[in-house]
Amino acid sequence: MTPSLERRVAELRARMLVRSWEYRQRHHARGVWFRLRRVLADASAAFVIPPDEAAKLVAEGYRVEPVGQALEPPKSIVFAPADRVARIASARAVPVRLGRELLEAEHLVLTPFEPTC
Amino acid sequence: MAFRDRLLATISAARPVLEEPGVLVVGSEVPNLLEPGAAATLVVSQDLDVGVPVSCHAAVKRHLAEMLVGFQPSPKEPSVWTPRSPDLLEVNFVGIDPSRDPADAYVLEDDQLPLLVFGALSLVKAGAEIALAGTRVRVPRPAGLMLEKLVTDRTGEKGDRDLLVALGLLMTAGPADLDEFDAAYATLRPELCHAVRSNLTVLSLLEPRTGMPDPRPRRAAVAAVLRRLEQLEGGAA
Repeated sequence: MTPSLERRVAELRARMLVRSWEYRQRHHARGVWFRLRRVLADASAAFVIPPDEAAKLVAEGYRVEPVGQALEPPKSIVFAPADRVARIASARAVPVRLGRELLEAEHLVLTPFEPTC
Repeated sequence: MAFRDRLLATISAARPVLEEPGVLVVGSEVPNLLEPGAAATLVVSQDLDVGVPVSCHAAVKRHLAEMLVGFQPSPKEPSVWTPRSPDLLEVNFVGIDPSRDPADAYVLEDDQLPLLVFGALSLVKAGAEIALAGTRVRVPRPAGLMLEKLVTDRTGEKGDRDLLVALGLLMTAGPADLDEFDAAYATLRPELCHAVRSNLTVLSLLEPRTGMPDPRPRRAAVAAVLRRLEQLEGGAA
């Protein structure tokens, strides 16, 4: 009997149980964090924009990412090409990570990575 | 004494075990050893993980007496052998059981060398043999090591650094390595596939860490891997 190793196995198995539970939650409320990270992973840059600019993007046909509506308070998150975002004078770049600036934003526009061959 | 020198001295002192057929160096030191000249520029923990296939356990035990010159087993954690000199690193023995589920773990009980057998290490396959400090060291193939890093539950600073190690491996992987990575990924059950993709999203959003590859310029490559894996699963969610 090796108590320290047995304890580590028990801890590891406990973490696996939690991870399995999180996996089953992936389409429910708790899964929002994976879905948000997945959306952000496709973004080369992120910008905070005013509500009227977000509304214009939606009106132009840019799709609202559903994950933003699964947060509280909800956010609008839209992908748009970099040249379109460049025309939004008030757009403020924020780091693409789950930091305070991004999480506090009510309206975000993300630019996709350039397609590669 | 520089970290690289300590790493190489540890390899030399652990030679009797490291040269036993089947034994692999695993863990975060592998990218350090694979750098040109084993430059060891990544800042990782100060230990050397030695992967022991359970089928080789008895053979490895026969060499342990030769290790006592440089190391002694930790009384509290007997799979860890602590160095007798500050010029050496700890040696951390871990078990590999190819028959095990990647999410499982168990203890291989033994009076002399008990092993914590990590199921995720079942994804690791023996790769190149490299000569370091007069010792023939076997390292894993990059694909399996990447997958092992990404399938394992990661938390905290060490978890982030492990993901950045995976990034370092990804950046140096060739097309054949990526094909092998995809093929191994395709064998995982859905929950573990999700864990890999979840860790990739965490990796994509990491801040830079001292002494580790900066993930920011590599984010497009990580996104491309994510898309490829999703396609393998038919647009997994």
